[in-house]
Amino acid sequence: MDYQSSKLSSTFLRSRKIPSTACSGCGLGMNHKIVVQAIQELGLGVADVIWGTSIGCAGRQTFGTWKGDSFAGTHGRVYAIARGLRIAMPPEKKIILTVGDGDAFGIGIAHLIHAARSNADMTVIVNDNLGYQSTGGQYGWTTPQGSKTDSSPYGMFEPNLMGEGMDVLEILKGAGATFLARHVSMDGLQAVETVKKAIQNKGFSLVHMPYPCPTNFASRQLGSRNQVNIFRWIQSHAAPLGEEKAGTIWATGIWHDASNSRPEFNEFVWETVEKIRRTGKI
Amino acid sequence: MKRYLETGNFAITEGAILAGCTFFAGYPITPATELAESMSQRLPQVGGVYLQAEDECAAMHMCIGASLGGMKAMTATSGPGFILYADPYGWALGCETPLVVLNSGRVGPVSGITGAPGQGEFYLMRYPTQGGNFETICLAPNSAQECMAMTVEAFYLSERFRMPVSVLADQLITDGFEDISVPENENEMQEMGYRVWPRKICQGPEFYPATDELDIPPVVLGHNTGALCSDWTPTEEGYDIEEVEAHHKHAYRLIYKVRNNRHIFNHLYEKKYMDDDPDLVVVSYGTPSRVVNTAVTRARQQGLKVGALRLINLWPFPEEHFNRRTKYLIVELNWDGQLVREVQRAVPKDSKVHFLGSCGDLPTLPSLNEAFEKILKDESLARKGWELEEW
Repeated sequence: MDYQSSKLSSTFLRSRKIPSTACSGCGLGMNHKIVVQAIQELGLGVADVIWGTSIGCAGRQTFGTWKGDSFAGTHGRVYAIARGLRIAMPPEKKIILTVGDGDAFGIGIAHLIHAARSNADMTVIVNDNLGYQSTGGQYGWTTPQGSKTDSSPYGMFEPNLMGEGMDVLEILKGAGATFLARHVSMDGLQAVETVKKAIQNKGFSLVHMPYPCPTNFASRQLGSRNQVNIFRWIQSHAAPLGEEKAGTIWATGIWHDASNSRPEFNEFVWETVEKIRRTGKI
Repeated sequence: MKRYLETGNFAITEGAILAGCTFFAGYPITPATELAESMSQRLPQVGGVYLQAEDECAAMHMCIGASLGGMKAMTATSGPGFILYADPYGWALGCETPLVVLNSGRVGPVSGITGAPGQGEFYLMRYPTQGGNFETICLAPNSAQECMAMTVEAFYLSERFRMPVSVLADQLITDGFEDISVPENENEMQEMGYRVWPRKICQGPEFYPATDELDIPPVVLGHNTGALCSDWTPTEEGYDIEEVEAHHKHAYRLIYKVRNNRHIFNHLYEKKYMDDDPDLVVVSYGTPSRVVNTAVTRARQQGLKVGALRLINLWPFPEEHFNRRTKYLIVELNWDGQLVREVQRAVPKDSKVHFLGSCGDLPTLPSLNEAFEKILKDESLARKGWELEEW
């Protein structure tokens, strides 16, 4: 496994950014590896992917790691940037965005919904560290209900976006996303298989991947920074879709796969432009 | 050359196309809506893309994305939408991404009067985003024809300076119908003084060195140059780093690439009756300048020694026009006085600077003439109460 990891990183990542500056015990590296391994297993090279990142732990720690072309956007706006970029890029270039839960489901949700609506070809990996951790640990929109955080010292009492009938993945499905999945970072190779499908969908894909934050989330919610505790806590609250038990927070697997079922943004925009240019009408 | 009786919005659209614009994203807002409509009509005809965005913030971010992908991009709005550009404007300045932004001024604050001209964003055009440590370039045309010229020029400057360049118009210019000539080929463009700079691609180092040099091509993604482009403090290779010295180098480039190269655009102004040391210099920009020019011509016929200075290059502020000790009258489409503050700062210490504000409508010739006469006789402009404040 060591050999596999170092080969992955030497092929696809910049040595200057390895190891990352993430906290000790942070689970982000697992998610990062899942994405890079999916890219490798699909036979894609460094030149095939434009990598975009957001603000927060997930964005900051993954920015500049990809050997190819990369950009970091302002908080919540990478989905809008990526839509503009999608128009300018040849369709075969993949756009992969590694973002955080606050970025995607908080400040950026309007742009995310419009990226899904237009079915713009991009793969959004939402690395969910269970709240706003780079600012010290405040609750976010997929923070487990009742969690104690720095801004919910009595427990998070607002409804989050993972409740019955109001799951953020259902919202995005309603908005027209063509591939949606959820995995916890410990799902390993299962998650790799899902991310491969997400990248292969010529359209808007999103994979929600909660991962452990020992430094802020665990220290407040579990009273310990011991990484084993938070890893086990997340694992024990995750179950495959259809096998949920009482206490399951994250139902994992593919939520919605309508891959390649709808016209893709770049293609229908350019086809329409070409028709108008030639005939003056659609 | 083709002649039209058309709006400023039409002229801006044609100017953008002449400059090579192939991407426009916008959000409907009075009085910039017709520009979006006209782009949606014209861009596909020339192989370009018009997209309507979910808000102005997304519109400008989409333009940044398209520009990062190698397209020349533009967006347009009015004051209430311009404040939503604060986020992407900073990003485009920091990442040094070329694009053009048009603001058609209306009466503020907030929603104010939607269908009437205002000039309340003089300082906002200088500081369109937070954080400081940057210069901005802003051009202010006063006619539909000049809107076309300044749109072409804004694209030219944005490519050479690697940054967003803004055009500040107002409701009267963008909505008003005027006689417009559109050049039909490169020769005609040259005759009209239109300059075009092609998009070039930074081949590395991945980001930019700490220099005030112009014409370093901007980062374009998708060419496998290993480009890194971020809103963080960049190292010269583009890596993010939180370090004061690296940030100082970055800020130096953002500030001095503009300050040290003002000669590229500081010829953009108009002077009328200014050669004989006038006793009063009337300063304005945008539509009020058209009334000012007429008023000054009439004042000269009456024997008043008045001159007119019209600013087109608004930012960086062209201080070189204000080194004479004389009387100044600043005419603006607002009641709080914005340009007047900048002029007060720029003139020699004991110069007298007066302010005549109106908003939602242009100043009248009699009101200007009355002001000229009073100032030249050293009488106060002040009236009582809300009608006009004393300056």
